[in-house]
Amino acid sequence: MDARKASKKRKAVTRDVEEEAGVFSGDELGAENLDGALSDNNNDLSESEEEDSDSEIELIDDFSDEDDEDELDSDEIPSDGEDEKPKKSAEITPNGTEPNFRVVKDANGNERYLYDEINPDDNSDYSDVEEKANTIGDIPLSFYDQYPHIGYDINGKKIMRPAKGEALDALLDSIEVPKGWTGLTDPSTGKPLQLSQEELELLKKVQMNESTVDGYNPYEPLVESFSSQLEIMPLSAAPEPKRRFVPSKHEAKRVMKIVKAIREGRILPYRPPEEREEKEEALISYDLWADEVGRPDHIMHIPAPKLPPPGYEESYHPPPEYLPDKKERKEWEQTDPEDREHEFLPNDFGSLRKVPGYENFIKEKFERCLDLYLAPRVRRSKLNIDPESLLPKLPSPEELKPFPTTCATVFRGHKGRVRSLAVDPTGIWLATGGDDGSVRVWELLTGRQLWSVKLSDEDAVNVVRWRPGKDAVILAAAAGDDLFLTVPPIADPEIEKASLDIIDAGWGYAASNPPPSAAEANKKNVPPQWIRPSSELADAGVCVLIPLRYIPKSISWHRRGDYFVTVCSGASTPASVAIAIHTVSKHLTQYPFRRRLKGGGPPQTAHFHPSKPILFVANQRSIRGYDLSRQLLVKIVQPGARWISSFDIHPTSSSASGGDNIIVGSYDRRLLWHDLDLSQRPYKTLRYHRKAIRAVKFHPGGRYPLFADASDDGSLQIFHGSVTGDMLSNASIVPLKVLKGHKITGELGVLDIDWHPREAWVVSAGADGTCRLWM
Amino acid sequence: MAKIKKKGTSGQAKNYITRTQAVRKLQISLPDFRRLCIFKGIYPREPRNKKKASRTSTPNTTFYYTKDIQYLLHEPLLNKFRDQKALAKKIARSLGRGEVSDAARLEKNHAPKLTLDHVIKERYPTFIDALRDLDDALSLLFLFATLPSTDHVPPKTIALCQRLCHEFQHYLISTNSLRKSFLSIKGIYYQATIQGQDIMWLVPYRFVQRVNGDVDYRIMATFVDFYTTLLGFVNFRLYSGIGLRYPPKFDTRSDENGAELAAFTLEGRNVTETPKAIESGKTKTIVSSNKEVSKEVQAKVDKAIKAAGLDETRDEPMADTTEESTDAIDRFEPAAPEGDTLPQPDMSGNEAGALFAPFTFYISREAPKAPLEFILRAFGCKRIGWDAVLGDGAFTHDETDPRITHQIVDRPQLPEGSLPAIPAAAEGAAPKVKPGTRIPGRTYVQPQWIWDCVNDGKLLRADLYSPGATLPPHLSPWVKPSRGGYDPRASLAEQEEEDEAEIAEEAEDSDEEMEDEAADEEKPAATAATAEESEEESVDGGMDVAGTDDESESDEEEEEEDEDFPGLAEEVASESDDDDEAARNQHQRELEAEAAGLPFSSAGVADEASKKKSTKSKKLAAKKRQEDEELERQKMMMSRKKRKLLEKMMYSNKKTSDEAAKLRSKRRKLEKAGQK
Repeated sequence: MDARKASKKRKAVTRDVEEEAGVFSGDELGAENLDGALSDNNNDLSESEEEDSDSEIELIDDFSDEDDEDELDSDEIPSDGEDEKPKKSAEITPNGTEPNFRVVKDANGNERYLYDEINPDDNSDYSDVEEKANTIGDIPLSFYDQYPHIGYDINGKKIMRPAKGEALDALLDSIEVPKGWTGLTDPSTGKPLQLSQEELELLKKVQMNESTVDGYNPYEPLVESFSSQLEIMPLSAAPEPKRRFVPSKHEAKRVMKIVKAIREGRILPYRPPEEREEKEEALISYDLWADEVGRPDHIMHIPAPKLPPPGYEESYHPPPEYLPDKKERKEWEQTDPEDREHEFLPNDFGSLRKVPGYENFIKEKFERCLDLYLAPRVRRSKLNIDPESLLPKLPSPEELKPFPTTCATVFRGHKGRVRSLAVDPTGIWLATGGDDGSVRVWELLTGRQLWSVKLSDEDAVNVVRWRPGKDAVILAAAAGDDLFLTVPPIADPEIEKASLDIIDAGWGYAASNPPPSAAEANKKNVPPQWIRPSSELADAGVCVLIPLRYIPKSISWHRRGDYFVTVCSGASTPASVAIAIHTVSKHLTQYPFRRRLKGGGPPQTAHFHPSKPILFVANQRSIRGYDLSRQLLVKIVQPGARWISSFDIHPTSSSASGGDNIIVGSYDRRLLWHDLDLSQRPYKTLRYHRKAIRAVKFHPGGRYPLFADASDDGSLQIFHGSVTGDMLSNASIVPLKVLKGHKITGELGVLDIDWHPREAWVVSAGADGTCRLWM
Repeated sequence: MAKIKKKGTSGQAKNYITRTQAVRKLQISLPDFRRLCIFKGIYPREPRNKKKASRTSTPNTTFYYTKDIQYLLHEPLLNKFRDQKALAKKIARSLGRGEVSDAARLEKNHAPKLTLDHVIKERYPTFIDALRDLDDALSLLFLFATLPSTDHVPPKTIALCQRLCHEFQHYLISTNSLRKSFLSIKGIYYQATIQGQDIMWLVPYRFVQRVNGDVDYRIMATFVDFYTTLLGFVNFRLYSGIGLRYPPKFDTRSDENGAELAAFTLEGRNVTETPKAIESGKTKTIVSSNKEVSKEVQAKVDKAIKAAGLDETRDEPMADTTEESTDAIDRFEPAAPEGDTLPQPDMSGNEAGALFAPFTFYISREAPKAPLEFILRAFGCKRIGWDAVLGDGAFTHDETDPRITHQIVDRPQLPEGSLPAIPAAAEGAAPKVKPGTRIPGRTYVQPQWIWDCVNDGKLLRADLYSPGATLPPHLSPWVKPSRGGYDPRASLAEQEEEDEAEIAEEAEDSDEEMEDEAADEEKPAATAATAEESEEESVDGGMDVAGTDDESESDEEEEEEDEDFPGLAEEVASESDDDDEAARNQHQRELEAEAAGLPFSSAGVADEASKKKSTKSKKLAAKKRQEDEELERQKMMMSRKKRKLLEKMMYSNKKTSDEAAKLRSKRRKLEKAGQK
């Protein structure tokens, strides 16, 4: 074998080296060991050679040397130290001509070989090792601390601890530093370590990572064996050797071997793919929730809503009423797929085998997937309550009865609009005033006209009001610029006389005061004088005429019947004379306000408080209450309406321990209920009219908790508004009835309303020239 | 003065982030963002005020909650996605160079493996949470288990879905926790109750699914990835919860033969009986493994007892007491008459497990095996046989087996002669039965019987479901009768509103009046009769409920059918009565007319009748008007917000009631048609 030959060649070389390396005398080894050692050696070397060899050869060696290899593996175990000794002995035998040992008899009579001591050459690696080298091996010197010696030399003699230098010696040593002094102690000898100059140089080079060989230049100039220049002539003129172009037989042999091995299946040309790993991955082998800890639901987390369970119509065999008829089917087919309520049509298949696959299944699941990650989720609280329970608990209309429901009487006679009406305190008569300038008094129940007077030819009668109190029958009416106090001749003579007395009492009082001078009379804010009317009017029953110079639009009596307040709401009226308080007993007119009221626009209407000495005056946007006795502003009410048309004060206000309640009607279609103790702002805002509200009125006397409003849309609305004495409970307002009957003429519907003082009857004046009694 | 606050620095503007912003912040592509959102369960939000939240004027912007996105920033999956992207680039490069093997190697060895375990733990901190969200997972996985493999759906995924679904079904079978099921147009709905959670899912019928172009399988695949992991963990937990080993043993060969459910073998200490009764060999192995396990367990228990220092004398009486107590819920009977009674669950696993337990079923070739097998097993049936065509794992393939008690057949009755002759059976094969022949001693039912029994929780009369019979309607078990809704179980008269029938009658009459005046007179009588009849029905129905429970098999429809006969008789009688009365009335009217000196005609009678009707309808209309007025009055007093709410509620209520009225009128028509 080539390999073996090669290894033998190599062995010769190595042997030389090893020979030199010998340190120990191999005295102990016997000659009989040598053969085995030799063969060992051989194998060892061949192996080392193998390592160097090419991989191609490896295979061949594998097949051919298999047995040797095994041997080798088992024999490799002995340690190097053992190995070395036979080598040394082996090198001696072939070289030396005479044996380098003597044969002596030992105590048992056996032969014993005594070897001479070897003198190492000067070129040995261990040349600097002295004779007296310590043989204790690689153990710390400190083990010998308590002994006088520090080890044994090769002959087993104690190496004594070198005497420690005296203090003086040390001093001397320190003073004159010997050459090569390092200050270190040689651990093997215990003496100070001294290094020569060369040794120091060497150490330095080692330290600097330089080559230790002398004269080595790491920066030698590069000798280009293959230069970048293209040579024209070949470097060597030698012909190509044959081996360059003849295929190698040796290699062919090897290839054939491999091929044979592959064919026989001894060598696998590829590694089988590994599939095992992927299976492992899919299997789940632990409990994810082994140490589960609940987490409180985050408020922002909304779990995906579950799909609703299927209904009856989704059955494969539903009840027949769920099947669509032709019309429904057509309708379903015609609607867009997005708009359909169900994505399928109910169908009856009769038996399970006839059911086909559902063609939109994947699509539906896909849409569900899309919903899950694309649809924003919103938490909607679904009210699962009966809608009935939301409705306020109202007393039924039967419990709230009586209230006006039907039109009982129609009063016809006025030409043009009826602007105002009033039911007298006894509840027998109705006074009306209209565009034709006449004031008429009717019998309320029958609708018969009892009395009529034409106050003015061109001006309309704007307002008529009865004086409160049953002791007298006095009607105040305003037509044009003038105010009239009349006593209609309808009551029995006694009452009529009493009424006349009341009015006439003032004449004397007026006469006692001197009439104002002409200069004063020319001034604007001088109160007008009460004068007697013309004889025609006096015959008709008019007693007093008060020329106000501006058109009064509202009259309101004090509850005692001695005062009444008029408001001239025209925009051109000076603020100082817009509001006037008239005293019947003194025939006196006063202007309590000098300046215009704050809060917007001219004053609209004014009312006396039913029990307190307070005057409420409304301008366009606010209502103010003035204490007349203290002459102070006590209340400001801001209904929030744009233009107040009328207001009324609850008749039991302040008397029944409750607070003041006011209803306000406005031209901007609002009806506002104010509880004055609660707030300046309205307690309830009711917007049930489509047109402006002209008049609002509480039922007088407080017998029935009713109030009504009249609107330009031709309807009256009747409400139940009960005020309790309890401060904690609010007023309860219940809408009761919408009364329709008046015709709308010229954008105007119902202009005025009034309640019957005792019954739950309401009278309304319409722009169509009629009045109606509702009961 | 306080510093003026800058716009868009706090509140909704900060809390919400648009999708584009989110994608930019995470530095991933949109498809990756989509996947991440699917895995992490992050969904868009609707801000309370869109204007405040968005800085753009684009109307349909998608908003995400900013904290959600911030929380995505730390997601380990994000790095995996980036790795995937890098790998995709490498693969694309080597493919571009034509190095296919290199690309394959990269794909095979370097593809980052996504593990979703931590995501599942995060999204479902407790097991109950996971169960709660199982509806969609099951529906999608059951769908994927039946899909054919395509480029988008690799066979590996399908196999995994099938395995997981079957494992889940096995759990349901062994715990008997399936509760309800419903055959719908779309597929079969199932509902199971696990640890108090109702889980409902839909399984499609086994047909090749039609795929529309607008379905993006990548999205579905992402969901499937997540759901498979989830269901795997759920299955593991469920199995280990009842002492079974997970995963169960899977027999590939049996599966290839179509055994499906039977390809799995459950192992564990609690398995007392195998789900498959046929494979006796396997039973033994299980038993032995069972013993081993129990030995181990016993040893452990002993050790634990020793360690705890429990003495045996104390242990024994405890064991005695535990033997007595059962898992079943005790019935709470009120001791005293006063006091509220609390509702208790009516069906437990034990009862469900006993429904089909005593029977042996045979599934005919044409019936759907997979759902039937699952539902029968889940309700306690241990012995199910089927035709050999349907696959492996049957109790018996022999149709003539005398042990079979019920056979599920889904084919029409054909006359004897029309059936083809059977070719002679081969040696050793199961003897074939001529299709259509009946083997005496067993009950033949259609598949719907199983579902109806399961939903009712009791065995119904089988003769109603015999082959070829017209089946009673199959009703969804989840619809609860609601107020104002239509309930097909109840009779028409029970749920009709007052006078509804009469009004409908009138409406019809007025249509018919033009055509047929003579018939007009009988109509009111007939309506009266129907009213009477329906009243009777309802009374009888009430009695039946209270009556014998032994005959509870008879179903409601049956009752109705039974009662039809006395009802009809009653009708005839009443009709005759009414006829008499009508005749008397007419005579009276004739006399009166004579006295008044007016010519009498039958047309006059008709007029009068119509007048009567019109007065009735007028009265009704007046009543309705009054009610409306009252409602208006009440509405006037409500605040606007409440009024709106009320109107909304009234709208929806009206919708349901209209729907119900429509159904009732349809049914009325049908019933009338049936009577004629």
